[in-house]
Amino acid sequence: MRNSACWTCLLLALSLSLSAQDDLPPVTRTYAITHVNIVQAPGRKIDMGTVVLKDGVITAVGKGVAIPPEAIVIKADSMYVYAGFIDGLSRTGVIRPKEETNRERPKDPGNPTPERAGITPQVDVRYALNPADKSIEDLRQAGFAISQVVPYGGMLPGSGALILLSGKSADQLVIQTKSALYAELTGASGVYPNTVIGVMAKWRDLYRNAVQSKNYESLYASNRSGLERPVTDRNLEAFYPVIDQKIPVLFKAEKLLEVQRVLTLKNDLKFPLTLAEVKEGWHAIPKIKASGASVFLSLDLPEEMKKDEKKDGKKKDDKPRTAAETEKEQLEKRRAEAISHYTAQAAAFQKAGVRFGFSMLNAKPKDVHANLRRMIAAGLSEDAALAALTTSPAQLLGISDRAGTVDPGKMANLVISDKPFFSEKAKIRYVFVDGAMTKLEIKETKKSDPNAKVEIEGTWNTTTQSPQGTTTGKLVFKKDGSGYTGTASSSMSPDPFPLKDIVLEGNALSFKYTMSFGSRSIDVEISVTVEGDSFKGNTSVGSFGSFPVEGTKNPK
Amino acid sequence: MKKIILLFCLLGALRGQAQDKGTVLIKGGTVLTVTKGTLENTDVLIKDGKITQIAKGIAAPAGTRVIDASGLFVMPGIIDAHSHIALDAINEGTNAITPEVHVADAINPFEVDIYRALAGGCTISHAMHGSANSIGGQCQTIKHRYGVLDGEQLKMEGAARTIKFALGENPTGHGRRDGVQPQTRMGVEFVIRQAFAEGKEYLEAWDKYNKAKLTKGFRGAPPAYSLRLETIADILKGNIIIHCHSYRADEINMLMNVCRDFGIKRVVFQHTNEGFKVAPELAKFGAMASVFADWWAYKLEVYYSTAYNAAILARNGVVTSINSDSPDLIRHLYHEAGKTQKYGNLSDDEALAMITINAAKQLGIESRVGSLEVGKDGDVAIFNGHPLSIYGIPQITLVDGLVRFDREKDPADMRLLVDPKETIDIPTIHKATTHNHENCMQNMEWLLNVKMFGLNR
Repeated sequence: MRNSACWTCLLLALSLSLSAQDDLPPVTRTYAITHVNIVQAPGRKIDMGTVVLKDGVITAVGKGVAIPPEAIVIKADSMYVYAGFIDGLSRTGVIRPKEETNRERPKDPGNPTPERAGITPQVDVRYALNPADKSIEDLRQAGFAISQVVPYGGMLPGSGALILLSGKSADQLVIQTKSALYAELTGASGVYPNTVIGVMAKWRDLYRNAVQSKNYESLYASNRSGLERPVTDRNLEAFYPVIDQKIPVLFKAEKLLEVQRVLTLKNDLKFPLTLAEVKEGWHAIPKIKASGASVFLSLDLPEEMKKDEKKDGKKKDDKPRTAAETEKEQLEKRRAEAISHYTAQAAAFQKAGVRFGFSMLNAKPKDVHANLRRMIAAGLSEDAALAALTTSPAQLLGISDRAGTVDPGKMANLVISDKPFFSEKAKIRYVFVDGAMTKLEIKETKKSDPNAKVEIEGTWNTTTQSPQGTTTGKLVFKKDGSGYTGTASSSMSPDPFPLKDIVLEGNALSFKYTMSFGSRSIDVEISVTVEGDSFKGNTSVGSFGSFPVEGTKNPK
Repeated sequence: MKKIILLFCLLGALRGQAQDKGTVLIKGGTVLTVTKGTLENTDVLIKDGKITQIAKGIAAPAGTRVIDASGLFVMPGIIDAHSHIALDAINEGTNAITPEVHVADAINPFEVDIYRALAGGCTISHAMHGSANSIGGQCQTIKHRYGVLDGEQLKMEGAARTIKFALGENPTGHGRRDGVQPQTRMGVEFVIRQAFAEGKEYLEAWDKYNKAKLTKGFRGAPPAYSLRLETIADILKGNIIIHCHSYRADEINMLMNVCRDFGIKRVVFQHTNEGFKVAPELAKFGAMASVFADWWAYKLEVYYSTAYNAAILARNGVVTSINSDSPDLIRHLYHEAGKTQKYGNLSDDEALAMITINAAKQLGIESRVGSLEVGKDGDVAIFNGHPLSIYGIPQITLVDGLVRFDREKDPADMRLLVDPKETIDIPTIHKATTHNHENCMQNMEWLLNVKMFGLNR
């Protein structure tokens, strides 16, 4: 009895001391990265030098730099260090508002409240940040140190902020609030403005009203006597810094037609503009150039066609092809050509001499490296790619005095890779954000055994851990010839969805499915390692991020 | 393979042309001018997009492309006064009154329907807002310059401003579903009158403010800005032509009365199925009518109709056109025009006017297009037979003097942009694509959902 009480005390003390240790400040905030190839900026390189960081600032860069005695020394032998990457648009670390289910249409759909219409430009994203959100860690591990993040919402969700991808509180994350007024050509469902024509008309109406009310406010401020008091308006006031050309409108414009429509609005109203998440902009380059808008190109790319889809028109056998086969080949050829245009977009902007950065709104952090390599293979120079990750966004966001290069005086934002970053096998080993180090363990990807024999047919119960809590689900696999078919259902969506691309190699199992809710759909990708009647792995759920998943097979 | 090479050549050529104008000599055809009679064995010279000469035996200026039209029929490019092709959004039907919206913001130059319309000799269409609400959005007259990659370049520069109004079942149905005005034909009249009255007040308030601003030392608050009322004010000032979706004679009379009360003169009635009942009244008002040749009974208010409608209207002195309101009919409007000869014995020129000069008048572009005359745009359709004959097939279509369709060079895949994520599924592609005949209610699917899910009690 006494013994066990002591034991409890000990455990308690131990756990207390452990948690206390977590909260302790680091012993030192000084680091020296030695014997490292320093790519200070595109085209500026120091072989085998040292970078010293102190209290979140780069203090020395070069050869023969004195290492402060208190420094933690990282022997980055023959590794490569770059400035931490900067993302022009994402919702990293931004709390997604709870979806209102069964939202009834208002009594008069033609005159909804601004909130219901998606008009909330007064919202400030700093109040919707969660520093513990996994998306922050995910993006940081892809090499990013700074992100321009925006709130969720409709046509005018609110203002964005520049945040660091490391910090314990929302305030610690923020470098700059109200960095831009964020906008989308997104209509409100079932109420005014519902369509793109409604959204653009409402935009013009709001903007011109804002200009008028701002002018009247200054008239009133100059001499209030005898004048009717201007009524405050939270929606219109949010436009004032834009009208003053102090901040740009940050407009999401993925498709070519969206780019053109946003430019039409800009030309009508003359606001400073940043186009972001541009995926299909190559035909609009002259127009973008003429408009003077800043650009962030999407780091998301359409998937490459699978090999068997890509047959280069030559069949191995001499069998005459049917008309349908010929037609299919021609359509596939055009599709491949379309994909190559997307991949070559960045190169086209480089060639046209347009400065651009990248945005991560749709891209998955794990795809960044591969997508950059595809863009480079399509003609983007490595220097231009690096500029688009570092110096260009720093300039476009007005933070080149603090970020974008490895120079003394800048924020200690660094990414260190074991090989030149753009080479195929390069892996990121360290990321520094604001002087705080993240060390990346090289993951044992070879955990699965290609020769293992497992049987997945049957019903599996799954649990997925996400910030929203635990989701339970059910998977059913059925043998179908040499492969499998299956369905997935969960506590979120009891109706089963069919599984696609089920691949079982040894005990490595991967598959996909699409959850659809009315007109919205979310792509889910799962890859797990099966051990007997259980599996462990990861699931990536649309743009929500990737979460650990576990499963157990129901006994027959 | 040959076709593919051809395709890229053609696409390349189209892309390069953008806003360009062409120079071409169309030689030796039967020229149907529509306004100046039919000229046998005559040449049409187009220079930099404009018709500069119509005569026999014109010598081709050096380097000019010559199209041999001997044995062919040369007519002005067909104009469709009511269409919804090339639009990504048709109805902002959430409010009874939305004149501030403009379909020009939703032009989609990649819609292959534009090319298909060219294949039917149609060079201009009136891209209209839908009929879900009483005062819908502003419409855009577009030239079918298929190949341009920017909607701005489809807009017909200098075309008159037009706006869509709608009477009858479509706007009242919307009102009843949402439990808002208008729910009856009386309600439609009321919301239109109310909008006009507010527009008038708005205009007066701004006139007063602008005048006061001129006085020295003036300080005061401007009236509230409203793009909606600004647009209504432009209608009242006569700067925008009303194109009103209408079927029944009583409501056609109603809108004429409302317009009379507010001094509005430029009105075109669309569909106008009961126009034949009020043809003299329309003529007296100076209103025009754009109708279907022989299409009706698709809803209750469209039962009382006749294929003689167009002829009766025309014979009563109403400027009348025949329209498609469909990506299918737009490809053979010449057949539709031909029906006025079967039902009403119109002359060739009268019948062709229904799809050319009359439509041009309704869109306020008759000084530019709608007939083959010197000084007009080089928009031309060339047929291998008389366009009003069932055997006539369009061969070449020119817009601004540039060949935008050539039956000889007509590749299978005319898409300008390809979705990199498309699923290539031949059986599905070959499944006949069903076109919804009336696009007027597009973008209103959510109304159906609401009804289905019973949210709107």
